[in-house]
Amino acid sequence: MSEVVVPRLAGADRAVSRPRADWLFRFGCLIVMLSLVLMVIGPWIAPYDVGRPTDFILEPPPALRDVPRLLWLSITNAPREPVYWFGTDSAGLDIFSRVIAAPRADVAIALGANLVSLTLGSLLGLAAGVARPWIGALIMRTSDLVQAFPVFITGMILVTLAGRSIGTIILTLALLYTPIYVRLTRSEVLTQRQRGFVDAARALGRREAWIALTHVLPNAMAPALIQFSVTIGFAILMTAGLSFVGAGVRPPTPEWGLMIAAGADQIVQGEWWPSLFPGLAISITVFGYAAFGNGLERRHAA
Amino acid sequence: MQPEAAPPALLSVRDLTVAYGGRTAVQAVNLDIAPGEIVGLTGDSGSGKSTLGLALLGLARPPGRILAGEVRLSGADLLTLSEPQRRSLRGREVGLIVQNPRASLSPLHMIGEQIGAVLKAHLPLDGAAADARAVDLLRNLGLNDPERRAKAYPHEISGGMAQRVLIAMALGAGPRLLVADEPTSGLDVTIQAQFLDELWKTARDVGSAVLLMTQDLGIIANYCDRVLVMQDGAIVADDVTKRFFAAPRDVYSRTLLSLERVAPPVAPGDAAIVLEARGLSKSFRLRDGRKVLQAVDHADFVIGRGETLGLVGESGSGKTTVGRCLLRLIEPDAGEVLFEGRDMGRATPAELRRLRKRIQIVFQDPLDALDPRWTIRDIINEALERPDAARVSELLGFVGLDPAVAKLKPRALSAGAQQRVSIARAIAAEPALIVLDEPTSALTPLARVEIVRLLRDLQARLGSSYLFISHDLSTVEHLSHNVAVMYLGQIVEIGTREQIFRSPRHPYAKALLAAHLAPDPSRRRVDRIEDAKLAGEIPSPIDLPRGCYLAGRCPEAVASCRTQLQPLRTLRDGRQIRCTPVAERDGAKTDPVAA
Repeated sequence: MSEVVVPRLAGADRAVSRPRADWLFRFGCLIVMLSLVLMVIGPWIAPYDVGRPTDFILEPPPALRDVPRLLWLSITNAPREPVYWFGTDSAGLDIFSRVIAAPRADVAIALGANLVSLTLGSLLGLAAGVARPWIGALIMRTSDLVQAFPVFITGMILVTLAGRSIGTIILTLALLYTPIYVRLTRSEVLTQRQRGFVDAARALGRREAWIALTHVLPNAMAPALIQFSVTIGFAILMTAGLSFVGAGVRPPTPEWGLMIAAGADQIVQGEWWPSLFPGLAISITVFGYAAFGNGLERRHAA
Repeated sequence: MQPEAAPPALLSVRDLTVAYGGRTAVQAVNLDIAPGEIVGLTGDSGSGKSTLGLALLGLARPPGRILAGEVRLSGADLLTLSEPQRRSLRGREVGLIVQNPRASLSPLHMIGEQIGAVLKAHLPLDGAAADARAVDLLRNLGLNDPERRAKAYPHEISGGMAQRVLIAMALGAGPRLLVADEPTSGLDVTIQAQFLDELWKTARDVGSAVLLMTQDLGIIANYCDRVLVMQDGAIVADDVTKRFFAAPRDVYSRTLLSLERVAPPVAPGDAAIVLEARGLSKSFRLRDGRKVLQAVDHADFVIGRGETLGLVGESGSGKTTVGRCLLRLIEPDAGEVLFEGRDMGRATPAELRRLRKRIQIVFQDPLDALDPRWTIRDIINEALERPDAARVSELLGFVGLDPAVAKLKPRALSAGAQQRVSIARAIAAEPALIVLDEPTSALTPLARVEIVRLLRDLQARLGSSYLFISHDLSTVEHLSHNVAVMYLGQIVEIGTREQIFRSPRHPYAKALLAAHLAPDPSRRRVDRIEDAKLAGEIPSPIDLPRGCYLAGRCPEAVASCRTQLQPLRTLRDGRQIRCTPVAERDGAKTDPVAA
């Protein structure tokens, strides 16, 4: 009784090196931060007005060998011709400005949709895991039904019914992603509710609902939060996809999917730049979010 | 049996040092093992036992490396040999048995093939001869029908047989030294005793020396000629078994054996009844919906105020289910639980919540029982009516923890300290009864001793009653006033600690207690006549037959045992037993408790 137990240092034995994963994770972090920053300030730092055409239509981007010189000129603020880094599109809009302004639509929609579906999905998943079996079955079968519906059709129907607004798109995507969170949270809830501390709380006379919200849910959130990051990436892709099929945001809002759709016709004529740069932006962003999520998952598992 | 004069050592280790990165796990160890000697190596978790064991074979688990020293096996230094030379010595000269027999066998190959492969690697045998030798080995280890067993895959044989296969593989090439690293951890006591008997007998027959690494001093007292104790990578004690147990010289062993010298708790005189279970039953319907697993079958027992009832039995005997049924964490199918005179089964949800606080539970896995996201302060506050920092500090002091740990998360504590937090939370609710469900099984030997002391101390101070559930008979003996023995969901014998531990009467209780390896070399199991031995292994608790569940294995079984349900009957000395032949011989009162 007299002796005092000295706490063991947490994590002292967990110093396992993961150089490769760390490199990817850092890249992911960078992309995630960049996209969030651009979502806020993108349209303000764009060199040209994203809605006002320039005098040059379908101006190609500067040749690679001129880029260093042009960069130098713009850094030193020397007098020069106007530069369109990514060229201009068929309406004469500067593509670079639109690419860095687009996160305000794409990332904001993806973030909003995922926040809605994370909240809804984890609460429904919790209910499905702890409530009476028939409630759980009802929630799960409804999720199946929602997931079984083709996304683009759902999107187009909803957009037709409710109009092309950001709110509608967020709702469409939220509907699409909620079942993922329901499923993830439920399976984790089923594991967590078997744990000793849940029974211990029960033995202390706590109510089931209180235990579910304070003990089970917080411990069951990790997989959903990791999924959150990965799903944002895919939601960005989906937002662009919806615009591409005409169920997304209204042109001329700067948005990657719209830009690709607008440039798609010109690719066959050799004018590749209107589609390529927004396409690259999507790819890098989706990959960045996936790498970020992957890194989080490794950290969680370690 | 014991080699008295010192013959030239079979294995001689000098200044052996193994390190993991910058951390030294084995520090300049010297040891000698004589031919045919059985040496026990013990020490707390992390003392470097396993690392030393592997290093004796010239192995180190990465990132560990053998830095210095020599390992001379009949003269040749293993560490200076080339890897192919070393490999040919392993198996032929040194055998290894690791933990977990089932996981050590390849699921894709027949066991005869696996034994044969080991033989072929070390002996000049062709395929057919190796297979024949494998069958011989299995026969020598007492497997019936060894030809058929040799063609079985690991999943087709029982756990007991898997261990014999492992012994066959380790001893097949006739090594002169066998290194066994915790070969029985996680096994039930009767299987453990069977395995060690087998190992002991085979080693003696072929004259192999054995280095048996274990945390269980009971195993060492019963099977080893000599004892080595490791602490922080160094050997701190080296003595002949009898002398070691008479007066251990190192602090570690003294602490472990200190409980043996403390008188077991004295039962409080005519205690008021706190809890009474009558006909408590619980069965689980299996996935396919037709088969039924009878986890608890008409359990009757009484726990008095300030009293500890020890509940013992092997895995699958339903001990844990009994504990959970008391709090209705699992809803019992039938029977009553009268707690302080009130029927838990009829309580409304609100009443149940109030009643539950009066019965607390401490679980086996200490980390699992604490919410990892909460601080220790929050965890203990949860048991209090309202948050109270002073009371939290007081409770932490009660269980021997520094109040400063209150701001930590459970993960930052050692397993023993985590279990203390669980106990602090339990006593915070001021319960009349604490269900202790294997609270010491996940702990190191040292932490186990401390928790047992703490529990006894708390009972003396607070007067709470315990239901102590464990498969560890030593711990039960140190804590219990009364003991109930469970077999396949039934309580087969219940009586005072002295009755059960000194003279068990039920055939199963006898076998269980005979398999108990007490840390006392004067009561070695290998010296006793095996009168209590049961045939075979525990049957599956699914779809049990009518009649006595033990009938098929019992040496005392008569024809009626197979057909008649055995009632729990009170013997003349007051204990209750579920065995009609024994009860009738005793001339028990003819008042069978309703079965």
